[in-house]
Amino acid sequence: MSDLDRAIAQLRACRPIPEAQVRELCHKARELLIEEGNVVTVTAPVTICGDIHGQFHDLMELFRVGGDVPDTNYLFMGDFVDRGFYSLESFLLLLCLKVRYPDRMTLIRGNHESRQITTVYGFYDECLRKYGSANVWRYCCEVFDYLALGAIVLGASTSLGESKGLRPENLSSTQQDDEGIEIELLNHTGGVIDRFPRGQARNGARSSPSTKSSSSPAAKTGPPDPAPGPQARSTARRSNVRSPLVRPRRDRRLGPLPARAGFLFGADIVKVFNHANDLSMIARAHQLVMEGFKEMFDNSIVTVWSAPNYCYRCGNIAAILELSEDSSGESMLARSNGDVNRSDGGVMKGNDKVLLAGPARRYRVFQAAPQDSRGMPAKKPVADYFL
Amino acid sequence: MKPQGRNNDFQGHAAVTSLSVLDTSQPHTFLKPAKRINEGHDVPAFLTSRAYSDIGVFIMQLNIAMCPRKSSEPGGTRTWQLDGTDVLSEPVQKLRELLQKIDSIIEEAPPDTGPRRFGNVSFRKWYEILESRVQALLETHLPRAVLDVSASSDGTSVLEELTPYLLGGFGSAQRLDYGTGHELSFLAFLGCIWKLGGFSTEKSQDGELERSLVLGVIEPYLRVVRRLILTYTLEPAGSHGVWGLDDHSFLPYIFGSSQYCPAISEGDSMPVEGALPDAPNPGDVAKKNVVERERKHNMYFSAVGFINDVKTGPFWEHSPILFDISGVRSGWGKINKGMIKMYNAEVLSKFPVVQHFPFGSLFSWEQDPKAPPVSASVHTASQPTSHPPSMNSTTSRPSQTTRAPWADSKGKGSEEGSTPAPWAQKQSAPSQTGLPPTRAPWATSAAGQLLASGERTGGMPPPPPAPDGPTKAPWLNQR
Repeated sequence: MSDLDRAIAQLRACRPIPEAQVRELCHKARELLIEEGNVVTVTAPVTICGDIHGQFHDLMELFRVGGDVPDTNYLFMGDFVDRGFYSLESFLLLLCLKVRYPDRMTLIRGNHESRQITTVYGFYDECLRKYGSANVWRYCCEVFDYLALGAIVLGASTSLGESKGLRPENLSSTQQDDEGIEIELLNHTGGVIDRFPRGQARNGARSSPSTKSSSSPAAKTGPPDPAPGPQARSTARRSNVRSPLVRPRRDRRLGPLPARAGFLFGADIVKVFNHANDLSMIARAHQLVMEGFKEMFDNSIVTVWSAPNYCYRCGNIAAILELSEDSSGESMLARSNGDVNRSDGGVMKGNDKVLLAGPARRYRVFQAAPQDSRGMPAKKPVADYFL
Repeated sequence: MKPQGRNNDFQGHAAVTSLSVLDTSQPHTFLKPAKRINEGHDVPAFLTSRAYSDIGVFIMQLNIAMCPRKSSEPGGTRTWQLDGTDVLSEPVQKLRELLQKIDSIIEEAPPDTGPRRFGNVSFRKWYEILESRVQALLETHLPRAVLDVSASSDGTSVLEELTPYLLGGFGSAQRLDYGTGHELSFLAFLGCIWKLGGFSTEKSQDGELERSLVLGVIEPYLRVVRRLILTYTLEPAGSHGVWGLDDHSFLPYIFGSSQYCPAISEGDSMPVEGALPDAPNPGDVAKKNVVERERKHNMYFSAVGFINDVKTGPFWEHSPILFDISGVRSGWGKINKGMIKMYNAEVLSKFPVVQHFPFGSLFSWEQDPKAPPVSASVHTASQPTSHPPSMNSTTSRPSQTTRAPWADSKGKGSEEGSTPAPWAQKQSAPSQTGLPPTRAPWATSAAGQLLASGERTGGMPPPPPAPDGPTKAPWLNQR
């Protein structure tokens, strides 16, 4: 077992690795990342994940739901750190996996991967608390500087299923179109509770994901949400890109963000951008959505949020977005362990080599990890102000 | 305008202990409150403004009023609890009714059942209703003395100055959030009334008036806010997640810890350690049954109870800062002292929190000539600026000075490398004549650290928090 594998095992157990190892890990990661572009290219199939914010146990849940690395190809859109209790363990684990399986793990930089933000929103405090010095925070920040800023997904499926003989350009009905999006509800062991095409959800044939989440504290504070998402077409045409620090808004045009941190933009900007860059869809993160994901503007943009019950209180469910490969099969990469611990999702059947056309994109939604598995901290350190 | 209530010296001698009331026999020039803190660089100017000093004095004044008192009968102690039955003065009673009316607007703006991101858009409707009525509400519920203050001829009325502070106390309709900045705004609203003599022009009898403000207005205000947060799922404004004290509030932790301090006599200074004999253990905040019992009486536990209401998961994990504090062994006095320091550092010194605070004639942007210079600190250093600091020496040599004292706490005491809190020793002698604590105390008491911190700042933008030194609140030492 290599040092790296040992570090991965230790981090999976939610135990931080020693400072010297962090230093070495960050050094290796920088060497790797410096070779990558600011906008990296990723080939489908890929699973796109949104914010983690140090919710380590929920990250483990995400891997149970989405499949383990390297069996699943992951693209994390950033905001690994801050706010949660385990930013350190979460980020270091992802970084270890990046170094260990560089082609199966893509990490891009969120707005929280910065020195300024992490000193305000907790990651700095956490490093100081867990190591007694800011060195580890410093090493991590240096890695942040090398992270990619965006990614383009190539080879994502445009098909709604060759077997059905449908081509996206022939589609006119939104109902048919919606069959291309599948929503899957999973329990804590990764088992499928329910799975249904988006069209059914909208038509009220099934309940929405959020109403399914019976243990969700959201029920306390508000009525269940109806099915998420706007109406009309959904096609994953050729590629997929995300861009951070911009928020879509319902109306049109650009405007400054309330917090002066970027720009608000509307449907017209998104569509022009997608058209000009030959993109079918933008995936983005960094905005809490109660349903875990939310498509807007005729499905030309989606927000993916992967931190369930955000900050222990928001009652939201989390989602990851799986983009399946196109029919050429060129980008097909079989999972080494088949479908162990994971639903077949309709992508694979029987023999691993037989590829059945799956939905163009599938959102797997999941809830917060159970809490009983967490140990109490042994010590109760005293906060500085109170010495 | 005369300087208000500024602590004239910081060495613990006779200090002004309450916000002074304006002479309202003359017309007063009100000002429409305006935003002054536009970027991180403006925070140091705020920390030397009259407004800052007034806020500090007002908080200390309310804080000490909540501390139990030795009573005349031997061994007796007077305490004040949330469910006490003290008679409220008329101005306080009317503000309570104001809060009730504000609260009842919730019935008129039921939460929207449609799709939402997080915060409920009906909060905007609630806020609009409040805005549309605020003038009439204030005319009905403000003390006569305040409404009657004559404004100077050129126009701005008392209501124009006070209204933004009240409206600012109930979260942001635009962002659908609520945080300590809003709490601060409401506190300033009360401060305005105080300064205009709305509560009394007489000196408060051993904190009686201040207590009625905390118990009769601030706690009911917090209840309205909690209901708003629950009803409209207001986001925690600028939340630090688990690394903040509380998602939304701070003041209840100050006043609530004061409620459990050992009893003092009139004229005594605030205790800095120890506890009321029958106060719960600080460690009890992690015990749900004790929280349920105490939340009815005590503001600290009332706030913790609300956390338990809205959060799931282990307390030590979702509220590690409160959990840490629950391990303080020197009693509620120590916790209260720490809360004040923390409020100064994490609320008043943080750009994201204070940037929305508006300044007028009562909470004035004017520089306080007696204010001590503000040393550059972690709180100002990591503020956003229009010109980001150079990041060229990000590989600067790691320094041991950032060692957190508690990181080594496996049975050891504080040793080298830990950052002692100088005031912790000084504070036990309030009338000490040592160096003014408003000068970063570590500058002389821990010379080695000063040296090392200079080394550290070589181009590294956010220096590590050393919560003693620069976070020292100048108004801390009054009494």
